[in-house]
Amino acid sequence: MTIRRVLIFAPMLLILVLLQSYFWVPTYEEQTKGNPERLNEYIAGSIGDASLLNPILTADSASSSIENMVFEGLIDRDEQLRFRGRLATSWEVLEEAFFYVNKSSGIPGLGKAGPQDVADLLREAKKKKNTTDPRLKNSLDYITAISVIPPRNYLVTKQIKGPDTGEQKKYIKISIAAPARIKLALDRVDQDLFQNLSLLLGEDYFASFHGENYLSADPALEKERLAKYAGELLPAVEHNPVLMFHLRPGVKFHDGHLFDAYDVKFTYESIMNPKNLSPRIADYEPVKFVSVIDPLTIKIIYKRLYSPAIGTWGMGILPEHLLNSQALTKEAQRLGKDPNTFSMRQSSFNRNPIGCGPFRFQEWKSDQYIILDRFDGYWEGLPNYKKYVFRVIPDRLTQEMEFYAGTIDSYDVQPHQVKRLEKDQRFQSFSGTAFGYTYIGYNIRRKPFDDPRVRRALGMAIDVDKIINYVLYDQGERITGPFVKQTDYYNNNIKPVPYDPKGALTLLEAAGWKRNKEGWLTKDGNKFQFTLITNNGNDLRKAILAIAQDSWKQIGINVHTDLLEWSVFIQERVNKADFDALILGWQMGIEPDLYQIWHSSQTNPYQLNFVGFKNKEADDLIIKIRQEYDHNRQVEYCHRLHEIIVREQPYTFLYVGKWTAVLDKRIVIKTLDDAEQIVYEKIKPTKTGNYSFYFNKWIKLPKAPSFMDEG
Amino acid sequence: MLSFIGRSVVQKIITLFFVSIVSFLIIHIAPGKPSQVDPMNPKFTPEVVERFRKEFHLDKPLHVQYLYFYKDLFTGETVSWKDNQSVLKKIWERFLNSLPLFIVGTIITWTLSFPIGIRSAIFRGQFYDRSATFLSYLLISIPGFFFAYVLIIFVVNQFHVPVIGMETFGIGDGASLPHIFMDRIWHLLLPSVLGATGGIAVLSRYVRSQMLEVEGQDYIRTARAKGLSPEQVHYRHALRNALLPFVTMFGLILPGLIGGSVIIESIFSWPGMGRMAYEAILARDYPVILTVNFVSAILVLAGTFISDLLYLIVDPRIRL
Repeated sequence: MTIRRVLIFAPMLLILVLLQSYFWVPTYEEQTKGNPERLNEYIAGSIGDASLLNPILTADSASSSIENMVFEGLIDRDEQLRFRGRLATSWEVLEEAFFYVNKSSGIPGLGKAGPQDVADLLREAKKKKNTTDPRLKNSLDYITAISVIPPRNYLVTKQIKGPDTGEQKKYIKISIAAPARIKLALDRVDQDLFQNLSLLLGEDYFASFHGENYLSADPALEKERLAKYAGELLPAVEHNPVLMFHLRPGVKFHDGHLFDAYDVKFTYESIMNPKNLSPRIADYEPVKFVSVIDPLTIKIIYKRLYSPAIGTWGMGILPEHLLNSQALTKEAQRLGKDPNTFSMRQSSFNRNPIGCGPFRFQEWKSDQYIILDRFDGYWEGLPNYKKYVFRVIPDRLTQEMEFYAGTIDSYDVQPHQVKRLEKDQRFQSFSGTAFGYTYIGYNIRRKPFDDPRVRRALGMAIDVDKIINYVLYDQGERITGPFVKQTDYYNNNIKPVPYDPKGALTLLEAAGWKRNKEGWLTKDGNKFQFTLITNNGNDLRKAILAIAQDSWKQIGINVHTDLLEWSVFIQERVNKADFDALILGWQMGIEPDLYQIWHSSQTNPYQLNFVGFKNKEADDLIIKIRQEYDHNRQVEYCHRLHEIIVREQPYTFLYVGKWTAVLDKRIVIKTLDDAEQIVYEKIKPTKTGNYSFYFNKWIKLPKAPSFMDEG
Repeated sequence: MLSFIGRSVVQKIITLFFVSIVSFLIIHIAPGKPSQVDPMNPKFTPEVVERFRKEFHLDKPLHVQYLYFYKDLFTGETVSWKDNQSVLKKIWERFLNSLPLFIVGTIITWTLSFPIGIRSAIFRGQFYDRSATFLSYLLISIPGFFFAYVLIIFVVNQFHVPVIGMETFGIGDGASLPHIFMDRIWHLLLPSVLGATGGIAVLSRYVRSQMLEVEGQDYIRTARAKGLSPEQVHYRHALRNALLPFVTMFGLILPGLIGGSVIIESIFSWPGMGRMAYEAILARDYPVILTVNFVSAILVLAGTFISDLLYLIVDPRIRL
């Protein structure tokens, strides 16, 4: 019977064909040990694929891990987190400060004075050796030049927006008769400059300058609006910090084109170009303008004091010759698209990037791999690895199996996997403090959370050490405040809130909460009850939710809990500040700028200070920190801010997690010593937990070397 | 016949229109925002978010957004929000990757289910049938990902060969063509077998019950009475009639082409359709989600249409 035979033989044949393919496949052994080239390539496993390979357009971690290899910034941070020159060899931070001469205000000992007199007074004061106030003396010492800008008249057109004007756009002409202005050049940034100068010029000299007196609007405007424009057009005082970068000569892009200051300027302009929709635009908004002094010197002038700005120049520099408007127009024409709407986002550069980093882009297969080759012309010398491969393996278990087999060198290792792997002789493992913390945040707008004693008591009722021990398997440590723990901004003198349920009850009693017969805390007949929420899908937070609920129940607080899907959680609860208490985490950057999360101006819906923390002193410090360019003073302010936040306890700070990494033991650091001899060193993470800091010096050896310090 | 085709096409276009509206509404009403306008990132100022919303037309009323989207789709200009690649090009690439998996999986399913099902029907109630039933239910009830992990761990530990990806990583350098080809076949083996297990379990049950139903018919008794050999009765008279419903099922597997399998593709690092769609959903990449949705709606409708036609052709009793 043919039908029967077909029905039996067809599947058998199919299975045979499929199975025999096994004999053609290279085994893991052949791929790793049998392949000497394997030692020269580093294969990183990743859960997700990159999106675009253009540093100004992306903000996701997969893309940036590739961008960091292909592109290079002007500066980066060294092992101690200090800035280190990359494409820039050195840089200076200067300041230009301006103030309008206020003829209506009398200067002590001089009376009402014109611009020349004020300038002379400043020059005189600077020359004087024994200035009475040391603060004034310091500020005067920083001044390197004083000049007078003569008065001028000009016209500005403003467009009025606002609900009162409806859909119609209204334009007003404002004519400005700007008085003379004094320009001060400083050899550093001094945020207290004007405050100190007012010791010399009179307390009200700057404050009593009213810009609106020098404006006239057509059609006429009400006074408040005019004053608002005056603040914008004629600010009494102005700080313009200046960054001057001296660039490294002879650095080349991967296509051989020489890197120069115009590329830096171009990168800045591309970020600011609204067509490109760069997510990094906020970092560069304070820039007033960028000017190229010569091909190796670039000067960046800022509108206002903004110290995190220095760090933004770690941004990878784009090659102007490949992405400027001519290049884009050409590409648009080649693709038959409209050159007017064609932007950098559409350019094929994003899938074929060229930078001046240590590795050059080779190939990208979406959702499979990205291959980079080392760049022969890299200014700091050749990396040891010939190839860097980024492999996308979305499943953690298969990632681990590939790692065991040796076909990937690193992967997103989980804490429990590290526990298993760290005993294995074949691997070396690393771990350290991470950059994010988990907290319980209280909605301070609502009773009873408006009382810091209550917030502190709630924190005291929770045994955080036990959470770290049992929920995190010790892969975390306590944190007391909002700064990155391994930086010196973090105030190590502050002790965490102790676990003390009895003390918590005493505090609550002081706040008016007493236990009733059933054991519930009550005040004025109201039971202490609220809802604690967090997002679904995070097992750690879920566990903390249960632990917190139980701990609070034990001191007589009736806590309900709720798990919400992430987007509902964010949109309906967090953004609208509609919650009592929540569990959430923050990822932190090294910069100690806390403006968006802690400043009182950021408490509106859809802003990040959703707990509603408002503290005058903290506000001042937050502003001072982001305006201060001197590291030591910044540290001092941060320590004080840290103290205030701990005192106020708007969050119960729980823990900061640990990052973990595992590598084959055969991967070591290879360097040449003074006598040109090869030296192998063990890989050690830096103080801040960056184990791949010396990646360019890494190499895989055929056999694991033994190091003396291992014993 | 022609009027049937005409009517059915019009009906399907109307259905498609409603599908497009409903899927558009569901995506937009569902909570969550595209990751580009994620407000929880301190780096994203309201201005940036506003600009993204404008660029993506998210600031417009829904019906305007709907028109924008389908205008772009029909002119082929839809681009993914994630990487600015053309969505149709992306789908086409992934489709080509998923296709071999789909073809091999389907072939395995269909070639294996029939012999198993027929044999179960012939030896109804006996040991073979019972064990086949047991195995079928076992395969249906084991979660796919668990089975996949067990298989992967077994194969990797026993045979020390890679199983994930479309090909052994880095094989392109210097391997001969048959090697590359066979390597690809090997990488197809596990995922397609896994994808087929559920199908085999279900389809063989189907075949069995169809066969049993037909075997009870009068004409089978007649055939036996005529003195035909059991083989002829089973394979010629019974099987042919039992096949009828399966012809129509063939049309219905078409949508499986685009759905792919999220779990299998993720576990095996297969750069296919299902994985792309899944990741797009997580990132709220509306253009990709909606296009995949639209294409699969077309495939479902085309599939039912083909089934109808096939039924017309193979079953002479049906006249329209």
